[in-house]
Formats: sequence, structure tokens, C-alpha cells
Amino acid sequence: MKKLLAAALTLSLLMPAAAFAEADSDLAYVQEKGTLVVGITDFAPMDYREEGSDEWIGFDADMAKAFAESLGVQAEFIEIDWDNKILELDGQTIDCVWNGMTLTDEVMSAMETSNAYCNNAQVVVVPADAADQYQDVESIADLTFAVEAGSAGEAEVTALGYATTPVQSQADTLMEVSAGTSDAAVIDLLMAAAMIGEGTSYENLTHTVELNSEKYGVGFRKGSDLAAALNQFFADSYADGSMLEIAEKYGVQDAVLEQ
Amino acid sequence: MELIMKQMPIVLHSLNLGFIQTLKLFILTLLGAFPLGLVIAFGSMSRVKLLRYPTRFIVWIIRGTPLMIQLLIVFYFPGLVLHNPIWGGGELGRFTASVVAFIINYACYFSEIYRGGIQSVPIGQEEAGLVLGMTKSQIFFRVKLLQMIKRIVPPMSNEVITLVKDTSLARIIGFQEIIWAGQKFMKGDQGISGAIWPLFFTALYYLIFNGVISMLLGKLEKKLDFFR
Repeated sequence: MKKLLAAALTLSLLMPAAAFAEADSDLAYVQEKGTLVVGITDFAPMDYREEGSDEWIGFDADMAKAFAESLGVQAEFIEIDWDNKILELDGQTIDCVWNGMTLTDEVMSAMETSNAYCNNAQVVVVPADAADQYQDVESIADLTFAVEAGSAGEAEVTALGYATTPVQSQADTLMEVSAGTSDAAVIDLLMAAAMIGEGTSYENLTHTVELNSEKYGVGFRKGSDLAAALNQFFADSYADGSMLEIAEKYGVQDAVLEQ
Repeated sequence: MELIMKQMPIVLHSLNLGFIQTLKLFILTLLGAFPLGLVIAFGSMSRVKLLRYPTRFIVWIIRGTPLMIQLLIVFYFPGLVLHNPIWGGGELGRFTASVVAFIINYACYFSEIYRGGIQSVPIGQEEAGLVLGMTKSQIFFRVKLLQMIKRIVPPMSNEVITLVKDTSLARIIGFQEIIWAGQKFMKGDQGISGAIWPLFFTALYYLIFNGVISMLLGKLEKKLDFFR
């Protein structure tokens, strides 16, 4: 009993330390250690690797490298479990999340986010042979939707009042539809373009209704001064055309937002 | 089918790399947990209360909570609460944190198996040793140890095989073992996206590796059959 009490006391003593964010500048911290650790998941065309290559490329990856260079540090990419992104930031195991992240209220309250830099939408994925019946929001009311737990897609479907089945990842939602355990899935437009259709395991799936439009941003630790530094970098690279140049390389120039 | 054949070399390469990570975690965990488990076993059998109770308390905590939570705590606690991210964010840091969490967890399970094995040796043998003027450590290493090893081989085999599969839990902190390597093709990697089969294909690696482990442990059991 005494030990339990002691353990509880130790924990409660440590907790307040977590509540106070560090007073020092995050920018200085990153520059001192010389690396900007970028948390990503494999997500073409934002962060991905080409066949036989170990180098991370993509619109987000190339921008992250350029941003790191402007700070005089190296960008280091590390794949994380997407559910743990806030843990990873606060635990200082990564310095930013730069991976086609939708700016939701939850994200913006838990992180210091940059200005929006890219447009996206949540789309409904259904089997291709049934796609004709599901072309508007009313027609999909009776379907069951597989959604990624905690995703922007889940929020959209819940707001419509339709039935959802939350699963681990956006990739899993497609398996649900493919296996017939759910009628439809809701995922990112940019991801749907890469993951379904010809040349994938989901040749029989297609996307129809766009439920909303939304914006991508980059996330930093709450209170970090890196967000302001990135906004400045976005503005500069948009003005000199280098941002659009990188975007064109990956075919996302139409989605890029003016800075 | 044709598509799978075309994807096969890339996927196999990736799964092999993932499996090497799995193996590294597996081997280092065993190397660390075998001796640490013995230390913990002695602690929980100690006649000194100050040693026995804390040790049993730790074993209770570790065995009573999910390994997945322990992984999260070991990896994130230093940075989150102590503001000192000792592991760093890179792959090596994730690997090291995984090894530490696995060694602690498995050492606690092993310790209970060791304890059972040691206590199963009849007390008469210890008394006989004492009468002959042997020290406690002589009695342990020359009389009890081999008998203990023989008795714990079957329960240890269970734990070792479970460990092979448990390594997949380390993906929660971004350690890229074989399941991770298989799953990433669902989302897309190296030009392959939306492929489900690599994930299920990883099961074959576990199955074959566990077959080899079972065979080796079976052989060890036979070798120890020369006494009862």
C-alpha cells in the first residue's frame, strides 16, 4: 500500500512538469541538434519512395528538405504510427508532422500549425459496378461507411448522421469495402487517386461523392516558433516560384494554395 | 496473379528487410531477458523483504499491464514528462526502446518460470549439499541449475514462440518490423499501392521461423533426456 502511494505521489509530482511547455525556442533547439525530424507515413504523392530507392520524395518531402536547408539543418524522415503524432511531437521524438495532414479543429488545438498550403477533399469510395447509384449525398444515406478512426472522413460522415465503422487506417477502410464488410469508405481524395483503380488490389473500386473540401497544413509542437518560420518560408518560396515548381513535379500544382 | 508475380521481388525484398528487424529484436530480447530473468527470480525468492517485495511488485506491474502500453511508456515517457528525449526520433532510437521494453517484459515472465523450476528441485538435495559443506552458490550451479533447465524447457518454448509473434507490437512506436513492411504496400510504397497480399504473406515468415525454433527446442529437450 505504501509503495502504491509512493508511486502515485511520484507520478503526480512528475505530471506538472509535462504541463509546462519548455520556455526555450523550438527553432533554436532544432538548429542546435542540427536535424529537423519529420514525422511521416508513406503517402504518395506527398511523402513516398520510388521503386528501389531509399530516398523520401514527394511534394511534402521536397518542401521539408528545402525548409530544413533554409534553417541550416538536415531533414530526417521517420515513419510514425499516425495515431501517435501528437505523442511523438510532445515527446520530442519528432519535430514536425508534414504528411498531407488535414487541418481539423482537433489538429489545430493540439499542435502549432502552419498556414494551409494545399487543397484536399473527403471522397466516398464504392465498388465500381455500383457507382452509378451513388452520385450524390442523399443516395448514400443507407450505406455503412468504413472510416479511419479519428480522421476527417469520420467527422464528415458522422456530421451527416450516417452509420460508421471506425478502423485503424485509411488503407483498412478499402479492405472493408473490398471484402464487402462495409458498403463504402471515406478517404482523402489525393490518397484515393493513388490507392484505387487500375494497377492496385482495388481495381473494382472507384470514388464518387466529394463530401467536403479541406486544407492541408504542417504541424509542430504547441507553442513552437517553427510554425512562424515555416509560414515565412512558404511565402518566400511561393513568391519566387520554387514551391509551384516542386508541386508540378508531383502533379499537385492545382491544389496548392497561394501564400 | 500476373500482377502479384511482378510485385513479388520488390515485396520480398521489403519483407526480408522487415524480418531482419524482427530477428534482431527477437535475438537481443532473448540475450537480455534470459540472464535478467534469473536475477529477478532470485530477487523474488530472496529472504530479504526489502528485495523480495519490490521485485514481486515490479513483476506484478509488468505482467499485469499490456506490453503495448509498456512500449509507449518506455519510448515516450522520457520526452513527454522528463523533457529529455533520450531515445531520439530516429530508427535506432525506436529499436533501442523496443529492445528495452521487450527485455523487461520477458524477463519478468521468465523469472516466474525460473522460480518454478528452481523450487521444483526437492529441498532434500539442498540439505544434502549443505551437510557436505557446499556453499549456496555451489549448490545452485552444481546441483540445481541443470535440473531446473531441463524442467523449464517446455514452458520456455511457449514463451519463446510467443515472443516471435509479439515483436509485431513494436510497430506501435514506429519500429519497422515485418508486419509494418507488409502493411505499407496497402497504402503505397516503391511504386506498389493498394496491395493487400503482402500483409498476409508475412504470416508465412512467422510460421517457418517458429517451425525452426520448435525443432531446435525439441532437440534440446531430447538432449536433456539423459536424466529424469
